[in-house]
Amino acid sequence: MSDHQNKVGFSLSKTMTIVVVIMVFTAVIIALVVFNAVFRDSLEQAAMTSAGQSVDQVAVTINNYTDDMIEIMDELYTNSIEDPSTLEDLFNNVIDIRNDVVMIATYDAHNNNTGIWSNYPTKDMIYTNLSLYPVSAEFNNGISISAPHVVTVLDNYYPWVVTITKSAEETFSNAAKIAMDVRFSAIARYIDEVGIGQHGYCFIMDSAGNIIYHPQQQLIYAGLKYENTDGLLALTDGSHMIDGVIYTVKTLENSNWKIIGVTYLDDTVNDRVRAMALASGLIFFIVVVMTFLSGSLFSYMFTKPATKLAHAMKDFEDNASGFVFEPIEGSVEVNNLSDSFEHLVIRIQQLMEEVKEEETTLRKTELKALQAQINPHFLYNTLDSISWMCEEGKTDDAILMVNALAKLFRISISRGKEIIPIEKEVQHAECYLQIQKFRYTNQFDYKFKVEESCKDYLCNKITLQPLIENALYHGLNMIDEGYIEIRIFEDGEDVIMEVEDNGSGMTEEQVAELFVNDGTDQHGIGVKNVNDRIKIYFGDKYGISVRSELDEGTCVTIRIPKITEERKYEK
Amino acid sequence: MRSKKHVTPLYVIFCIALLVLSTIVSFMIFGKRQAPNPLLRGLDRKSFIVVVGKSDQSAFWQSVASGAHAAAVEYNLDMNFVAPVNEENYEEQNTMIRAAIMGQARAIIVSAIDYNANAEAVNEAVAAGIPVIVIDSDVNSEGVACRIMTNNYLAGRMAGEQALRNNEGELTVGIINYDINSANGQARERGFCDVVNESGRVADIYTVNCLSTEESAYDETTSLLIQHPEINTLAALNELMSLGSGYAVRDMGLADSVDIYAFDSNVVSVGMLESGEIEGLVVQNPYAMGYLGVETAYRLINGLPIQSDHIDTTTTYVSASNMYDTDIQRMIFRFDS
Repeated sequence: MSDHQNKVGFSLSKTMTIVVVIMVFTAVIIALVVFNAVFRDSLEQAAMTSAGQSVDQVAVTINNYTDDMIEIMDELYTNSIEDPSTLEDLFNNVIDIRNDVVMIATYDAHNNNTGIWSNYPTKDMIYTNLSLYPVSAEFNNGISISAPHVVTVLDNYYPWVVTITKSAEETFSNAAKIAMDVRFSAIARYIDEVGIGQHGYCFIMDSAGNIIYHPQQQLIYAGLKYENTDGLLALTDGSHMIDGVIYTVKTLENSNWKIIGVTYLDDTVNDRVRAMALASGLIFFIVVVMTFLSGSLFSYMFTKPATKLAHAMKDFEDNASGFVFEPIEGSVEVNNLSDSFEHLVIRIQQLMEEVKEEETTLRKTELKALQAQINPHFLYNTLDSISWMCEEGKTDDAILMVNALAKLFRISISRGKEIIPIEKEVQHAECYLQIQKFRYTNQFDYKFKVEESCKDYLCNKITLQPLIENALYHGLNMIDEGYIEIRIFEDGEDVIMEVEDNGSGMTEEQVAELFVNDGTDQHGIGVKNVNDRIKIYFGDKYGISVRSELDEGTCVTIRIPKITEERKYEK
Repeated sequence: MRSKKHVTPLYVIFCIALLVLSTIVSFMIFGKRQAPNPLLRGLDRKSFIVVVGKSDQSAFWQSVASGAHAAAVEYNLDMNFVAPVNEENYEEQNTMIRAAIMGQARAIIVSAIDYNANAEAVNEAVAAGIPVIVIDSDVNSEGVACRIMTNNYLAGRMAGEQALRNNEGELTVGIINYDINSANGQARERGFCDVVNESGRVADIYTVNCLSTEESAYDETTSLLIQHPEINTLAALNELMSLGSGYAVRDMGLADSVDIYAFDSNVVSVGMLESGEIEGLVVQNPYAMGYLGVETAYRLINGLPIQSDHIDTTTTYVSASNMYDTDIQRMIFRFDS
């Protein structure tokens, strides 16, 4: 799977990085779109509601203020009717107590000034009196309220005021009208401080579209700012959204003034969307960075070691025996892989070494077996015996000898085969014993006990002969009535071949020596050679065992598996 | 595959931690909306700018300061308005400019008392890479980024035209000017003289240069009127000159026979307009100067384009007949008193 991916060209960590980045990017985009679509609307509503509340608050405050002033005016009027003599004291009290009342003036029916009460000195000569005429709104109880103007009757003092005038139905004292000038700065300061949203503000305008007070009126008079009052006049009370600006209109109850709240939607909503975008961008950036970091960590922990491991495997494939594996560091998994691979390498190298050794041994033993087939010493002795027989005229014996010799060589060559039927091997051993019996002039006797069922099984060629030779030379040499018995029988799945003599026997050291000495002496191939060949061909559980007792005899046992001609190659 | 299984939980924990963190961050951003968010505002620290005026006592300069303050609030700038003790002290202005350079102001707004003597300090500021904006009174420096002022020559002409309109006969003019090194005063004088000379109805023009104080103007006007009783028209070229000459005319009982055409306004000169010592006032737009000066400074600091390197602010002629019009009222009587 990962091999396949490598061929496509994306490493695991790169794929992971790309997938995560795409996922996060999509999530951020969706979040922004959803935010814009769903929340923008509700934020707009919230902004409009909040603007409406602010403007209502302003309206209530200003209404309360004017109500308060109207109440004072009513109080003055009522008191003056009841007790005209206290009028002046009353006026002076109001002026002293209420700092926002700049001036109180009374006028007669012809609008002639009949008295001015103020804490500030009046001008020596009054040229204009703006507190007298202007009427902005009238109420049914005879009270009217003016637009803001400056007081023009005080010496070097021109405060901005609104004039509240009470026209009396019945004359009180000598006045037909009381006018009270109330500082506008209280209202102005309040309006200045009203904030709606971040840059929102509110201002007052009258029903004719004249700006009564604007927190930035200096800018407006200086021509640096413009307020579309005509357009605003057309709006009914409530919040209106025009070109991303929320205008909230509220008409005051006790005057013809309108409070206009101006809020920029940009302030509230766009800032939030921008903040959202900023936060999302930040998240996206962090995730991308972290993804790259974790990707490289992943790569460092897994992908790179995995690639290294793959390279190591390739190197091993190219040069198995000379390969030296250096453990690869990485994640636990990689370490496990590395360890397993290391064991694998060591095991395979061991096996290769074993195979090589076995092959070498096989070559050597086979070569020796080959050499044994034409042991010149044996041949020379045998031929010498035949020659002697001929000289003696023992023609029959000579013929027997020659036939035995011929058969011996035919079987030992066996057309180059290593494995031959047990029957043939037995014949080989018989020929050998015949020849030796002639040579040693019947100094020993021998007997074959071969089970018929065993004859078709296979065995290595020249297995019995070296053992018999061993028995002749090491066992029977000194003894007159030598006896050798060769037994072949089945033992479960195996075939047992035994060569037993009644010779002098061997010490344990001698027995041990049999398996060490590789038989390079003159007596042809040794027991070790036979043992080695059996083990190489059939495995370690097969081979030769020797049982020997001094002065009693020796029994050499060969154990081989049952192998028929047909099953020869299965092992 | 097994290996991935091992790495993923670590990674997931990472992601979750990040998401939680960023959620907290964004809630912090959304949560605190009352105070302007420094993250969104960009710079936590406000840019520091200095406005060097000529005075902080006169109504004119109070109006400049109030306009500058309004713009500083709107553009979120840290504005410092400074002015010398009296309108003569250009050395003190130079000290203030150098202090602003030392204080690493991002922009300096200057109204030069002396056209030449303030130039060196202004050039130092320009050399230090600080943009300099001139309001009201120019300075002899090439490095000034923007000039925002009344066209004083035209303002002088406006006063002259009104004088010719109000007096059908022959004019004998006395000009009460202030510091001879002030570019504004000279431009106004030139404008006034040009108009009356063009009319051919002028007998004589007598010019006096006073110290820029009310007392000096009073004394100089008194002696000028004693020396040249034929003078029937006076031009008082700034606020303090208006007051000094107005009081002089009042005290000499010449309110009816001498018409004063004065510059700038305050409550006293407005009173004199009503009582007849002063015939007309040429009122500048000091609020706009202060406001536009700071606004231009903001644009220069933030690398935004400015509409022009020379902005003319408006002037209005106020006389007893229009002084209580709603618009004029709003212009000459400050709201915040």
